[in-house]
Amino acid sequence: MNSKVVAHAHNSDAADILGFWLYIMTDCILFGTLFAVYLVLHTSTSYGPSLKHLIDLNYVLGETMFLLLSNFAFGLAIIASYRKKGFMTSLMLLLTFALGLAFVFMEVKEFIHLVHEGYSWDVSGAASAFFTLVGTHGLHVSLGLIWILVVTMQIMTMGLNGAVTRRLTYLGLFWNFLDIVWIFVFSVVYLFGAI
Amino acid sequence: MGGTSTDYGYSNKTFGVYAFGFILCIFLTLVPFYAVIHSIASYEYLAAIILVSAVAQFFVQIVCFLRLNTKTEQGKINVWSFVFTGVVAFVVIAGSVWIMCNLNYFMMH
Repeated sequence: MNSKVVAHAHNSDAADILGFWLYIMTDCILFGTLFAVYLVLHTSTSYGPSLKHLIDLNYVLGETMFLLLSNFAFGLAIIASYRKKGFMTSLMLLLTFALGLAFVFMEVKEFIHLVHEGYSWDVSGAASAFFTLVGTHGLHVSLGLIWILVVTMQIMTMGLNGAVTRRLTYLGLFWNFLDIVWIFVFSVVYLFGAI
Repeated sequence: MGGTSTDYGYSNKTFGVYAFGFILCIFLTLVPFYAVIHSIASYEYLAAIILVSAVAQFFVQIVCFLRLNTKTEQGKINVWSFVFTGVVAFVVIAGSVWIMCNLNYFMMH
């Protein structure tokens, strides 16, 4: 008797998730264009300093590890949510938040350091492209952090009901997507920049 | 099993697959960083190490973390939209670099 209702709810949920997935796909294209800009402009340092001597790879490795650990902590939160353990899910989300915050903190500190060294966003085309690409990623991560807090509060107040679980799925896709973009950022910008 | 019954087109995350993917990702991150920091090879080899590690980690994350798969109808839609996005991103990136290189070449010659 209820099967039709259930089937409908099931389909609309899947359609919602697909919609969010398509949004992430458009975000991929946004990052694709920023990568294209960076690849075209990264040699255009004009008379400004080049990034090569300012990169500290050990520092970037630390940033990368924080983001990867944060991604893993989110996976643990999802697994806890499957087992309907609301408290454990919130705890893992807070851990995800702390690790993500460490990433953003390190990135902002790096930006400040670069500007102090004279590698400001207005010195050359390469610097503008660098700050636009890495900054856009950092902005996404920062917005994701706020979102993590919101979902954590929803789990604490409403429990793991259908709507909250769906939002957790959206957030998971978003957070994982940011880590995937970061793979290409550290490879293309930092590692190739430092060779 | 303890999984959800709703089909979002992503397989359920299990701790084993997740931990396996995580260890692979750490390995695939450390390898290129180590290679570049200690500059263990010539430019061509370093570039190859970076690219191969990045692409490998990309696929590890897609399979182990995002759990994209083609087992269900929904999963197929996700994968195909993903492939389509990859094609668009490739055209944008490769096209831009190609055009700008050409432009640069003809300005110099």
